[in-house]
Amino acid sequence: MLELFHAMMKEEWRIHSTMFGSVSFALFPVMIFGIAFMGAFLVPLMQIAMPGGNLALTIHGSYLMLGIMVGGFGLLGNEVMNRRFGQASLLAYSSRSLPLTAQFIFANFVVKDTIYYFFLWVFPFGFGYLAASPFTGVSLAGALLLLLTLALAFLCGLCTVFFLSTVYARVRAMFWILLLALGAGGSALVVLTGTNPALLFPPLLIYHAFSWTVLVATCAGLVLLFAVSTALFSPESVGSEKRHRDLYRPLVQRLAFLPDPALAAKDLIDLYRSGSLIGQMIFSFVLPLAVIWFFLSLLAPAFPPHGLLLMFAIVAGLIASTMYTWVTMFDAFGSYACLPVAVSRLIAGKLTTFALLQVLPALFIAIVAILAGEIAYLVPAVVLGLSVSCYAVAVMAWLAGLSPNVLVYDVRVLAQYFVLVGIAIVIFTAVAFAEPLAALASVLLLIPAWLFIGRAKARWDAVDPVGF
Amino acid sequence: MTTVLEARGLSKAYGEVQAVDSVTLSVDEGALFGLLGPNGSGKTTMIKMLTGQTRPTGGTAQVLGVDVTADPVGVRARVGIIPEQETPPSFLTSMEYLRFVAAVRQIPDIETKADWWFDFLDFADKKDVLCKDLSRGTRQKLMFAQAFIHEPALALIDEPLINFDPIMQDVVKEYLAGYVKKKKTIFISTHILEVAEEICSGFAILHKGTLLHTGPVADLTGRGEHLPSFFLSLVRKDRHA
Repeated sequence: MLELFHAMMKEEWRIHSTMFGSVSFALFPVMIFGIAFMGAFLVPLMQIAMPGGNLALTIHGSYLMLGIMVGGFGLLGNEVMNRRFGQASLLAYSSRSLPLTAQFIFANFVVKDTIYYFFLWVFPFGFGYLAASPFTGVSLAGALLLLLTLALAFLCGLCTVFFLSTVYARVRAMFWILLLALGAGGSALVVLTGTNPALLFPPLLIYHAFSWTVLVATCAGLVLLFAVSTALFSPESVGSEKRHRDLYRPLVQRLAFLPDPALAAKDLIDLYRSGSLIGQMIFSFVLPLAVIWFFLSLLAPAFPPHGLLLMFAIVAGLIASTMYTWVTMFDAFGSYACLPVAVSRLIAGKLTTFALLQVLPALFIAIVAILAGEIAYLVPAVVLGLSVSCYAVAVMAWLAGLSPNVLVYDVRVLAQYFVLVGIAIVIFTAVAFAEPLAALASVLLLIPAWLFIGRAKARWDAVDPVGF
Repeated sequence: MTTVLEARGLSKAYGEVQAVDSVTLSVDEGALFGLLGPNGSGKTTMIKMLTGQTRPTGGTAQVLGVDVTADPVGVRARVGIIPEQETPPSFLTSMEYLRFVAAVRQIPDIETKADWWFDFLDFADKKDVLCKDLSRGTRQKLMFAQAFIHEPALALIDEPLINFDPIMQDVVKEYLAGYVKKKKTIFISTHILEVAEEICSGFAILHKGTLLHTGPVADLTGRGEHLPSFFLSLVRKDRHA
């Protein structure tokens, strides 16, 4: 029965390697290794400004986020996969003709994805830190422990979101009850004991004070979440003859103020009818930002006054920029190939829909500013978040066109993205930390964003559109 | 006779694979032209190049007077296309999809036109059903409607009958035959030779990306030959060459 798993691994490799070459894809974990290896030499310097515990918190928080971002398997129906990969018929769906249960096929798919992401992101980072340990004075045991706890942090995010997204897809009411229970539990903890829930994150507990009991309990919890999710999940797309009222015509009329209402209306209907608008908003936006808020608030003493809100706005802007992947995930260019539509028009259309969705991060940052008692800095925070989001999405459109979900694993694309977005973030973090009101200057990022969008259109019009 | 489609030395290579190799052919107005060939012979690549969906790596092609490389969107604005795999957007209903096509192509009076197509292809009961929930045959009907709803001077269709039942095949064949009588042109690719012989006025045979033959069907039948046997002997000879 390992044949299916083996074939899925090969398939995953080929999907990415045929897009941008085996070498470019294979270099991806090498780049992560390099970043960790070189970063390890900076740890002693960073610890001057930031206590070691805070650094560990940041890294574990990042890997928890990575797990959260990739764990929404429950949301992936046939449609997203089929349309993203066009004519490529994935084993996860084609193997139904084999005498295997849907749960078995899906369990293979999830394990394959987990191992794949582990070797793309988690292992290279931990191994880079491990390889540098003889030169940085970090003990071998400490480096090995970090590798273990980062893997656990990643799996915690992945399994929790896998579980929640499966419940969301299966029994919507149960999902809301679970979410309310989690929220109430977290709030009670904060109010009654004054403890930030992020401090009880098991991988961090293990990292700070290794305990076999906590490790075994964590692993058992992960296995339980994974098993329940797999058992609950049904990958079958149930065809239905259900009739739907016309949304397209009234939406086009309502969006008539936009340059291309026909495309924007289609994208919004895709998001609404697929259930992705709410699902993605929860699993790719609200949930990650809530986790980030708890982790960032632990670092608050290291920030200048008002720095926590502004840092949060920057991170929210970065995460909001990934909304571009929400609107590009339902169709490859093939859907438009029989119409007089250039790739540049599609990019402009997707960015228009993206711009409409930016009301969500704007609202979210505003609510956080009010709840944090920082209403005076609400406007600079919202402007900063939205400017970062617009700039990052423009870079993404220039680098990846209509395929950001796939091209992110091209090492050249990712390295350029890190550099271009990283520079802007460093500059505007420094500016905002020096003078909170100067965060308003981040509106200047719209100029390079505009230029990148212009270049994106010219660049992707000149490229032969491919299936995926 | 006006030439509506002309390819000269048209080629497409995917890396080291030569999918289409220097094909030269022309199609006149009012023709129902069939591009024939076995699986993998380059028919779909030819249609993709002629409709500006993929760029040729060699040669030139003019479709309705528009250069496919210089203005691919201009070509797609003038023609109707049914791709090999039907791909209407998943989360629009059939009616919404036709409205979407009308908005992109700026077609007036879409409600009346759409209703005509729903009745003609007998799928009015599916107009409010999401495209993702349609059967393959109904999706093909929808793609057929979107390709002809603006009554293009030239329609390019990849395997026009493959998903239709025998009754619908008959309806579609009759429609295509009537369409070219209105001085419109149809370019189809197929490997169903009997259909090609029945409905096409001209044909070309493609094998391993190379054009083996092009000419009127009448020349063949006038000699007492049949398209299927002619095709098979030509392709077999080329295979052993």
